[in-house]
Amino acid sequence: MTSRYLSSATNNNVDIEVKKTRSITLQNRPENAIKLADFFSDYVKTYNIPDDVYNDLRLVLEEAFINITSYAYDKSDSQTITVDLNNTAGEVSITFTDTGIAFNPLNHAVGNIETADHCEGGMGIHIIRSLTDHQRYHRVGQSNVFTVTKHYTKHNNE
Amino acid sequence: MSLEIVITPEANNGKRISIAGRLDSNTAPELQQSIDNEINDSVNATIIDFKGLDFLSSAGLRVIFKAKKMMDGNGGNFLMVNLQPQIKKVFEIIKALDGMNVFKDQAEMDEYLTAMQDKVKEGE
Repeated sequence: MTSRYLSSATNNNVDIEVKKTRSITLQNRPENAIKLADFFSDYVKTYNIPDDVYNDLRLVLEEAFINITSYAYDKSDSQTITVDLNNTAGEVSITFTDTGIAFNPLNHAVGNIETADHCEGGMGIHIIRSLTDHQRYHRVGQSNVFTVTKHYTKHNNE
Repeated sequence: MSLEIVITPEANNGKRISIAGRLDSNTAPELQQSIDNEINDSVNATIIDFKGLDFLSSAGLRVIFKAKKMMDGNGGNFLMVNLQPQIKKVFEIIKALDGMNVFKDQAEMDEYLTAMQDKVKEGE
């Protein structure tokens, strides 16, 4: 597990933008989703992210992480998934990076959620899309890089 | 946080499955196993009580909908009660609440069940 903190002031007089970045690297095992959940819970407490944003994003984290463990690697592999959290000026972004086979999760959502068989897969991507404002996938070299972003209203005491 | 599952008998060959904690990809198989063990053709109603459930992912949803499909196939009732706001939101996202028997609390569900029993008695 790695962790880092980045702080930068862009304007000292009016609006100070502070980036708060942390990362965690986990092996591609589904059971590590709970470690990711605990990591995110600590992050949210540290930076006073609102409860409703926390509830939405912890579900996004679970869905994306499980998606990668399910599709990016052969089951026998023991590879890693790195998750970067960034919180700045009322916006949380989460980036998942893995070195598995090229896989764009955005291409694997169910077509029509209302008529879909909810006993089958494909709901996770629909949930991710519904709970975040932006989603972006890139294949960078040998890595899948999937980033989601959610905006929220900051309270005065944050 | 893990998943706690408590199964209790209800009136008229019903079963209540109370779940608490976290229903996700790692704990969903536990609930599936409990449902497979407890819900069969002789069960007339399955009630999922979400009162203590804090987290629900798509893997958990699939187990819930499999149970509903089984009850629908048997001609039984499938009811859900005590959904916390963050849990209800997940069902709303996948637009799955229409046509389902969802009750905000025990009192509302009791009212529904009483009305159902009265209808049955009238038909006898």
